[in-house]
Amino acid sequence: MVERTLLIKARLGLHARAAAKLVRVASGFQSQVQLRRVHGSLSADAKSILSVLMLAAGCGTELQASADGIDEEAALDAIDQLFAEGFGEMEPESSI
Amino acid sequence: MMDERPEIRCKGLGVSDGIVIGQVLRLHDGTQHVYHWRIHDADLETERQRFRAAVELASRQVLAIKEGAEKRFGKDHAYIFDAHLLMLEDEKLIGDIERHIIEKHENAEWAVKVVGDSFLYLYSQIKDDYLRERGSDIEDVMQRLLVALSGAQPGNRNLSEDAVIVSQDLLPSAVAELDLEHVRALVTDTGGWTSHTAILARGVGIPAVVGLRDFYRRTRTGDKIIVDSIRNEVILNPSAETLKFYQGETADRVKRQDSADFKATGPVCTQDGVEVTLRANVEVPSEFEGVETFGASGVGLYRSEFLLARRGAMVSEEEQREAYEAVAKVAGEQGAVIRLFDLGGDSLRQQFDEPEKNPALGLRAIRFVLCNQEIMRKQVRAILLAAANGKLDIVLPMVADVSDVRRAQAVIQEEANNLRNAGRSFGEVRVGAMIEVPSAVLMADKIAQTVDFFELGTNDLVQYTLAVDRGNDEVADWFRTLHPAVLHSIDQSLKAAARAGIPAIVCGEMASTPAYAVLLVGLGATDLSMTPSAIPRVRRAIAGIDSRDALVIIEECLNCDTAADVENLVRERFTKLWPQLFPPASLPAPRQSEAK
Repeated sequence: MVERTLLIKARLGLHARAAAKLVRVASGFQSQVQLRRVHGSLSADAKSILSVLMLAAGCGTELQASADGIDEEAALDAIDQLFAEGFGEMEPESSI
Repeated sequence: MMDERPEIRCKGLGVSDGIVIGQVLRLHDGTQHVYHWRIHDADLETERQRFRAAVELASRQVLAIKEGAEKRFGKDHAYIFDAHLLMLEDEKLIGDIERHIIEKHENAEWAVKVVGDSFLYLYSQIKDDYLRERGSDIEDVMQRLLVALSGAQPGNRNLSEDAVIVSQDLLPSAVAELDLEHVRALVTDTGGWTSHTAILARGVGIPAVVGLRDFYRRTRTGDKIIVDSIRNEVILNPSAETLKFYQGETADRVKRQDSADFKATGPVCTQDGVEVTLRANVEVPSEFEGVETFGASGVGLYRSEFLLARRGAMVSEEEQREAYEAVAKVAGEQGAVIRLFDLGGDSLRQQFDEPEKNPALGLRAIRFVLCNQEIMRKQVRAILLAAANGKLDIVLPMVADVSDVRRAQAVIQEEANNLRNAGRSFGEVRVGAMIEVPSAVLMADKIAQTVDFFELGTNDLVQYTLAVDRGNDEVADWFRTLHPAVLHSIDQSLKAAARAGIPAIVCGEMASTPAYAVLLVGLGATDLSMTPSAIPRVRRAIAGIDSRDALVIIEECLNCDTAADVENLVRERFTKLWPQLFPPASLPAPRQSEAK
């Protein structure tokens, strides 16, 4: 199993559109992917949109992502990239 | 004899123009009766398969809706249906429902309801407003599953020829599924200018009145209803007298729709040969078609903030460039005027920021973009790049004085230089100023010397000149488009433009109301921009008048003491001079508070 800490930079947090992207990406891998709030106890299955939305993770939330399976590294890399890009909603440099 | 129910009039916000007499078709936005029964062991597998089939059917429906919505509203606005699709694939949701069927021996409908409600409860506990609202998406999906299980085909509702949809709130998927060929008008309790209902209605050109609060519960399907979005009103169970009045109105309209005004294009001439250009205000791709259909001379106002309608998520430069190119293409030779993002800080605010105390007078429009240069520069670059492939101009919203203009011009100039240095191909754009706050009117001569054109936003001009919030019912009596102060402001701005030798476009609701458009012509306006569907009736009005008569009337108006005096004068003069063109209903109605 591999783990990584991720920061949500998208302004609206993990809202419907961002969550949908995340679930699509995570579902492309065989590994199980979990997200857990660093502060708090909530955790979510990254392949379930209802579960991801229920994390209610706003902008600035830190999440611990873990993947377990044959493609665990690749899965976390892909998710890491999605977070870094702010889910393609805004370039990270255009902070307001 | 039918029971005599009293006429009920309800004020809302007309978001798509027109007048329709029709029959209420209530569209419930949620609950369906769900029955509960036990499933025997032998039938459990059949029940599970029945549920699976419903999920598949629902998924196919959502996919179709998503594709339709992408075409009509653009990719950005169809994403919500992607979330719906994922919910239908969600192992947590679908698995829980299946397990419920098997373990509790209960029917699929009941299982959907129980599991769905438990998710809804969890969502209702979320502190974040936006995410909590996603509960409505779960409801939407649950509803669809229940309908799929019942075997009914949604969207195949038997609509009568004159159906007026009345609803508390139209869910996006319900709107996307309506058989719009047969819907005459949309009426909802909630919503505003940019709600789904409003955008869709404008796109297909049917009237809509929204924000009617508790209208839905007063209606019954089959009730007679008049939707008059021009007067921001709906009338339930109209009296014989009201009905007669409106029948005259709509008969006139039908006649007009067949007339040449609906096929004409290009500028319109008054009887004495004054040429007036008629342009289109547009916002969403679904409105683009109207530019050609209604014979507009290009796009006079593109409200770019629609690109950000997803509550503040920023769109990329590339996406913006594509959007502006599409507008330029629709506008053709006459070109399009892109208004820089006209929004307040509130719409892009971080959730933990304090809200502004007075957003209408706060960091908004040009002030907002000047303070958020990343956003402004990105938009300016996208417009400049798009202008390489079409005719585009930029208009600056809500400038207060010359300093706002100069600061914005410097940014535009810098971005043009950067693009030039980078060797990228871009087009020259003219830069204009929106004249919509009193200080801009007072400084109009100075501003006119620094910009390429003026654009008069009459809605905001009325609001800021009279210091009246148009959304506040309590002060509705003070919101007077024909206030002498407003007319003087328009007069001064147009004269300043003329003195500086720059063009001035008048946009806003005033331009799309025929009687008001005639007054604008009297004030010397020769360039009007409006909702595309309003163009034919404005064209007809202007073609039927002599601008010298309009001038005489407006000079009298400018000498009036009060808004009521102006309105009375307009009613009297128009009725006398042009009885055919202006039936009483097309003129400003006397206010009850001031009736003699």
